[in-house]
Amino acid sequence: MPAEEMGKVSRRLRLAFAICSVAFVIVLAISPVKDLRREWKRYKREYVRFAQTRPDTKKLLADFRPDIDQIWIPEMGVVDRCTTCHQGISQPSLAGPGVPQPFRAHPSIPHHVQEWGCVVCHRGQGPSTEVAEAHETTLAWEQPILPGKFVQGACGSCHRGDLPEGPQLERGRQLLAELNCSGCHRLQGIERPAMLGPDLTSIGTKVSREWIYKWLKEPRTLTDADGNVTVNGVENEEEPRMPKFALTEPELRSLSGYLSMQRARPLETVKFDPRVVAALSKKADLVEQGELRFRQMFCSTCHALAVTRAGETKLIGGDIGPELTKVGSKVKPDWLAAWLRNPQGYLPHSKMPRYGWSDEDLFEVTQYIQTKLTDPDLLSNVPQMGAPSDEETKLGKRLFLEKGCASCHVIEGIGSPKDFGPDLSALGAKNVSQLEFGISKIPRSLISYIQAKVVNPLSVNAAARMPQYHLTPSDLDAVTTALLSMTGTPASGAMEKLIVPQRRAEFHPAGEFGRLYERYKCYVCHQFNGVGGTLAPDLSFEGSRATRDWIIQFLENPQTLRPTLVLRMPQFNMTRQEAAVIADYFGTVLQHPEVNPTAVSRNEFTPQMAALGKELYEVKYQCQACHTIGSTGGYVGPSLNNAGNWLTPAWIEAWLRDPQALVPGTIEPRRPFTENEVKALTAYVLTLKQGSAPGKTGSSAAGARGE
Amino acid sequence: MRTRFLLLVLASIAGISACGRKTSVAAIDPLRNAYDSEPDWNDPQRIIPLGYEQAQGKRIFGQQCVWCHADSTPAGPSNRSNVTPTPPLFNDGSVLNGESDEFLQNIITLGGSAMGKSAMMPPYGKTLRQEEIQSLIAYARAIAVPPYQPPTRPGAKYSGK
Repeated sequence: MPAEEMGKVSRRLRLAFAICSVAFVIVLAISPVKDLRREWKRYKREYVRFAQTRPDTKKLLADFRPDIDQIWIPEMGVVDRCTTCHQGISQPSLAGPGVPQPFRAHPSIPHHVQEWGCVVCHRGQGPSTEVAEAHETTLAWEQPILPGKFVQGACGSCHRGDLPEGPQLERGRQLLAELNCSGCHRLQGIERPAMLGPDLTSIGTKVSREWIYKWLKEPRTLTDADGNVTVNGVENEEEPRMPKFALTEPELRSLSGYLSMQRARPLETVKFDPRVVAALSKKADLVEQGELRFRQMFCSTCHALAVTRAGETKLIGGDIGPELTKVGSKVKPDWLAAWLRNPQGYLPHSKMPRYGWSDEDLFEVTQYIQTKLTDPDLLSNVPQMGAPSDEETKLGKRLFLEKGCASCHVIEGIGSPKDFGPDLSALGAKNVSQLEFGISKIPRSLISYIQAKVVNPLSVNAAARMPQYHLTPSDLDAVTTALLSMTGTPASGAMEKLIVPQRRAEFHPAGEFGRLYERYKCYVCHQFNGVGGTLAPDLSFEGSRATRDWIIQFLENPQTLRPTLVLRMPQFNMTRQEAAVIADYFGTVLQHPEVNPTAVSRNEFTPQMAALGKELYEVKYQCQACHTIGSTGGYVGPSLNNAGNWLTPAWIEAWLRDPQALVPGTIEPRRPFTENEVKALTAYVLTLKQGSAPGKTGSSAAGARGE
Repeated sequence: MRTRFLLLVLASIAGISACGRKTSVAAIDPLRNAYDSEPDWNDPQRIIPLGYEQAQGKRIFGQQCVWCHADSTPAGPSNRSNVTPTPPLFNDGSVLNGESDEFLQNIITLGGSAMGKSAMMPPYGKTLRQEEIQSLIAYARAIAVPPYQPPTRPGAKYSGK
């Protein structure tokens, strides 16, 4: 190569080298420049500027640090840098919507932000220091931030038991249990109960094939002329527990045929005394008498009926048992009488108590149900099908298994399948990448996935076996919240210690009381040591509260203590002996440790004390705002008309001193009575007595106006 | 040639680094970020978002206060008509907006008779915690019709009453 050419090359090389060097320096400089311009540093600087505009600058900047702030909770594996930008989070003076984000203070909550950080409740990316990365809900980050509406889902990850502070979470858990989701899915904290849907072992003795056909086709029964969804012709906001399965016409015929053949348990047919039937059948007001008994027994406490008043039809009554407006057109007459006589003979798990019936009452009530609670058009659009063919029965049986009916319903010889639907006990911890969105166009997030799946399972997976549920928007959000709370078993022992478990309560009475407790199903409405329903008063300490005589009288003839209640204790027709067994059990076992009913004698209260008590009651404390005496007063608390017979003096005193100590959460406010006032008020309450035996007044027609 | 190539590399590096992610501030539905909500008592179509404290107030209201300070209750009819003088509805801004937070805190804690009002209003100071009473006030402020305006000057919240 000639020399001048070499010089040319080397000049060109030198130029290239120079450019490369400059480029290299620029590239090197990018990183520090970018670091200088980090998003979080901008927020740091802005916060200082913002703090200087506030009157309490000094306090706001007292613990300001120019670098990244971090909260570390090793037990939970949480690294939380949110406070790097959210610097005013625990400054009370920065509360309220007037303060711009990200500097606003957190509203007051039971958990301290500096202790728990943010992502434990809000989820999101704790370690991130960029706004989009930390919060983004649309991208497939492992944990996008939870919208405020669903934040109670995060509460439920640790608080596995009752949490009254999170009403939406509680509602969601209740719905998941009520809608029998645990029939097919494994859920965290919701166990599979003994019976989900009705036992169908002998369904053929109860209803006709045509009725089953109609029910399978449209369990919400029908929509009325205005398009409102109705159950048995009555508009109803509650979702019936039986969901709607998309069944074809042949499937409906086969399944209804198969079910109508289920008669494994023979019917215990009631044989009425022919003389009773003959005598009653002559009575012109047979049906009216039946209706009166139906009302007097307070069937409405558990069963609703549609009542039309002033052109508006409403369901009136409880929802523990099924709604009965048209039940006379549904069930067979023989079955009805056998059921009323002994519900457990047909359905061993039934919650319905076994009433003591006379032949007369039973006949009258069955006549009333078959005559009045009917709808001649109920099955008008159902084809008459007769007995099913062998092929139909076979196909029906296959469908029963394939559609998952066996997950909720029992038929003799068919066990319930294990884990029919996917395990949902850790759904709330799933990453978006683990979800199957299929053909749907919904936003890629766990929340939209859950909601789409519940509203229309086929929209996400065309082959889904899951039936369709119709939830109101707020119930849908509640169910979503509860599912988000299910994050599975804790990852570590340290984490497990942070979990607030569900409280397990047990109450297994034995002996004669145990038998009556089962027969009359006391626990369906009342609580005993944390077990049972919440419809009626908690009876855990009833033996300290009520006198033996009063309990016996009440059980024989329940009167209401709270005049406004629609739902009242049913008339079980108990014998005096049964009532005495229950009262004795209450008196010996259901005692409050602090209240000994025999410790305070009625004799220590004088008429002078009672007179003072009356004045305190009426003038100083004005208890009549909530309690009724005679026919005046309020009806927030129980009527005190018979309190002298009802309550023990020891209970009244203890109650006046501190009601919440006896019944946590009771609404009677604790008042600062002096000890003299307590004695005087007790003396007065003990003088409030009604004529000795209530006799039959409680069950008279007047007392039966439940609604 | 090479120069052009180098320049291209440089330009692309610059381009990538300039591609700073702009933070997207999506229009946020206030109800989607609310802890709880409550329909306006007078206009059920209008849904009022509630924060944590207000939601706790709503819960405690539903347990303790609803019986006399609302027209319908979980048990059906209201006890309001049995109480004289008739207690104000909890959302009645025309009555409650004129009272300071301190006054409301006191009347709930100490009862009506201590504050020169009806003795039918019992004291809740031994039943509810102070935070619970504050949450009740926060709830009343949230649902007030006409809407509640917090005092602007710190001194303004001490009403003349």
